Amino acid sequence: MGFSDPTKDKATEEQLVKDLQAGEMGSFEQLANLYQGKIYSLSFNLTRNATDSQDVTQEVLLTLFRKGHTFQGKSAFSSWVYRITLNASYMKLRSRKREPNVSIDDLLPSFNKAGFQQEKIQDWSESTESLLFDNETRKVIQKAVDLLPDKEKVVFILRDVEGLSTEKVGNILELTIPAVKSRLHRARLFLRKKLANYFGEYKTRKEGK
Amino acid sequence: MICCKECIELLHDYLEGELNPEIEASLEDHFADCPPCIAFVNTYKSTTRLCKDTLKSNDIPDAVKSRLKDFVDKNKNT
Ligand SMILES: [Zn+2]
Ligand SMILES: [Zn+2]
Repeated sequence: MGFSDPTKDKATEEQLVKDLQAGEMGSFEQLANLYQGKIYSLSFNLTRNATDSQDVTQEVLLTLFRKGHTFQGKSAFSSWVYRITLNASYMKLRSRKREPNVSIDDLLPSFNKAGFQQEKIQDWSESTESLLFDNETRKVIQKAVDLLPDKEKVVFILRDVEGLSTEKVGNILELTIPAVKSRLHRARLFLRKKLANYFGEYKTRKEGK
Repeated sequence: MICCKECIELLHDYLEGELNPEIEASLEDHFADCPPCIAFVNTYKSTTRLCKDTLKSNDIPDAVKSRLKDFVDKNKNT
């Protein structure tokens, strides 16, 4: 497969999907190669478990194989794949005992009556570069994302991590554009607060204040 | 003058460049006089970037990759 021209890749994908709909199974392997990384990555960010993510990837590929010819083409093929992946991942999570989510409202910023910032806001944005590949930092970030409530988490992962457009995320989750934006914003506020606790403390420690 | 709370509420649209120019200008006026909001905007942007860089690198482990290949091959030939 070429890595060059994205429009050509798109045309190739459309043809593969047509073949799959027509029951030509030769296209299955190529579609599996195109999608398995995306399926695995999304599932891993939701379940944070390699075995579960492997199971989910196999289940989704199996669905593509068995039901690909029933795909209607009303929405994009990729939206369909993402939706099946989400459902399969949620099934995995349902069978697992989970830590209760933190209430998102507790971690939204607080303002005084006049609407001005109440907390002391540290700017730790410059001090994170050196920490990015640090294992502890990675764990803190993963843990913060894991604590997001489901509704906000899925929007954050699809939009900010996977880099899908607002429209695409709305299409996959059957949400309006304003709903996608508002969930994304709440997720970012929640994560900012979580990371502020970590990086803010780190910065204070380093400066010896 | 527009307050911090309103600025933070509009942050997503501001960073996407989706605000109308007047509102965008009033946000920037506020930021010019409000170091806490500047720090907030900077760390809001860093948060997105840090999370993306950390979570994006979920490459399929080689062992899983080869199991998936077996799985695809098996189904392909049924
Ligand atoms: Zn206000
Ligand atoms: Zn302010």
